[in-house]
Amino acid sequence: MGRVAPVTSLLEARGISKRFGGLEAVRGVDFHLDRGEIRALIGPNGAGKTTLVGLISGRLRPTAGEVRFAGRDITRLRDWERAVLGIVYTFQVTSIYRNLSVYDNVALAAQRRRLRASRDWVALDRGALAADAEAALTRVGLTDRSRQRAGTLAYGHQRVLEVAMALALTPELLILDEPTQGLAGDEIEALCRLVRGLAGTTTVLLIEHNMTVVLELAGRVTVMDRGRIIAEGTPREIEAHPEVQRAYLGR
Amino acid sequence: MRGGDRSRVLALHLAVIGLLAGLQLVLPPFHHGMLARIMVLAAYAVGYNVLLGYTGLMSLGHAMLFAAGMYGTGLTIRHLGFGVAAGLLSGALAGLAAAGLVGVMTRRTTGPAFLIVTMMLAQAFYLATLYWNDITGGDQGFILTGLHIEVAGLRLPLADPAVKYNVALVVFAACLLVSLWITRSPLGRVLVAVRENEERTRLLGYDTSRYRLLAVLVSGLLAGVAGSAYTLLFSYVGSTFAGILYSIYPLLWTLLGGAGTVLGPLVGTLVMTYVVDITSGFTTAYLLVVGAVLVGMILWAPAGIVGGIRARWAAWLP
Repeated sequence: MGRVAPVTSLLEARGISKRFGGLEAVRGVDFHLDRGEIRALIGPNGAGKTTLVGLISGRLRPTAGEVRFAGRDITRLRDWERAVLGIVYTFQVTSIYRNLSVYDNVALAAQRRRLRASRDWVALDRGALAADAEAALTRVGLTDRSRQRAGTLAYGHQRVLEVAMALALTPELLILDEPTQGLAGDEIEALCRLVRGLAGTTTVLLIEHNMTVVLELAGRVTVMDRGRIIAEGTPREIEAHPEVQRAYLGR
Repeated sequence: MRGGDRSRVLALHLAVIGLLAGLQLVLPPFHHGMLARIMVLAAYAVGYNVLLGYTGLMSLGHAMLFAAGMYGTGLTIRHLGFGVAAGLLSGALAGLAAAGLVGVMTRRTTGPAFLIVTMMLAQAFYLATLYWNDITGGDQGFILTGLHIEVAGLRLPLADPAVKYNVALVVFAACLLVSLWITRSPLGRVLVAVRENEERTRLLGYDTSRYRLLAVLVSGLLAGVAGSAYTLLFSYVGSTFAGILYSIYPLLWTLLGGAGTVLGPLVGTLVMTYVVDITSGFTTAYLLVVGAVLVGMILWAPAGIVGGIRARWAAWLP
């Protein structure tokens, strides 16, 4: 779809596998993301989607294969090192600091981004940090709840707080693991608007079951089934793909 | 954190320090001496709280860090002829070094594993103080005499009650303010994040094991300073202070006062020391009373005294 920016590769996984005991959740997958694209990753439950993004974010170590990010081999890097490089994962099951204020949740992300440039805690500019945190809260519409304890937020607000934390890190690659799960219609619409606003600057990898959201956001769609990628293409191509219809759309 | 809260918090803590300073003018001699001792032990608990309250690591081996401060000060004064200032410095460094050992040995552990490793290390340290009793004096320990400091040309003996009280106050105030500063800084926010949700914190890009190590070092430094001050003010070094009881005490003081509150360790140490003192006056089974207090606390005030106050009335308390 007519994107003008020069297409360069951001992420490349070659032949990666992950075995849990007797179960091979991801089997020799080749996966590739262009800089700036929004990619949806779909597939039935147990297809290996969360495992695949776990291998990309560093939550899991592959049993075989390699992962390259911005031209660099990151297969051996740990989760926090990958986060520093700009690979940011938002959890499928909401993972916020429930006992901290909404502001502190976002500030933790914002200060990490500021520290990326300088390791100096003393020189950390608190005014600028507060501005970053406020900006991230404004983007998701949580500004007037910044002093509330995060655990007392409504579920939908907790989900967008998680997204705000990710945005405050200014990710290169943002991985959203079923972000619309459990959200109401208008909340889904707001989230879509937010993700669409990232297009071109941030690469987004989106695991999503809601096909309306997938069709609306994704430039390309990757389909997984039983640990393998079975199809990849534009949303329209994917809808028409016979194997996808069999495995996933149940037609 | 809003500006109004920030100045209110600082004012409260300075007021507490001011109150402690003022009390020496009105307290009868017995309580005067008791409060001096409580302040030194509370400084120890403040260090313990950095680890338990703010980073979520429960140690059962802190006596090693406290005693490292004691021996670092006592042995250098006794054998190397150090003065008070040099002794304090070597005590602080000994606490820091012992914490470095603990930190390296526990680099990949949290929860019960952390507790067990710290306890084993401290037991080994305790046995070492007994084994090399020709140097350490073993469980008999040794006393130091003639310790004094010089302020503006005046020679002030540390055994003098007023000097003792004010030195204890300075040590406590320094530890309290360090703890307050850390907990309200961006660094403290990360420590709390490690406590609350470690995986989340790693995925924000923080090397959490490094932050845990840092918390152990800060805690060890404060414990070392407190142990050193105890030796200087009470002129005694002995292996009792390396024993398991002195690892349990700061845990109890911190829990009673409120883990994860800046003033909790002081309140806990104060209350517990007086409970022990009062009950031991009329029964030898005073530990039973201590136990009852703790059971009651867990039932009705699990967040501790200051933690309970914060939850109910003063959410702005750090």
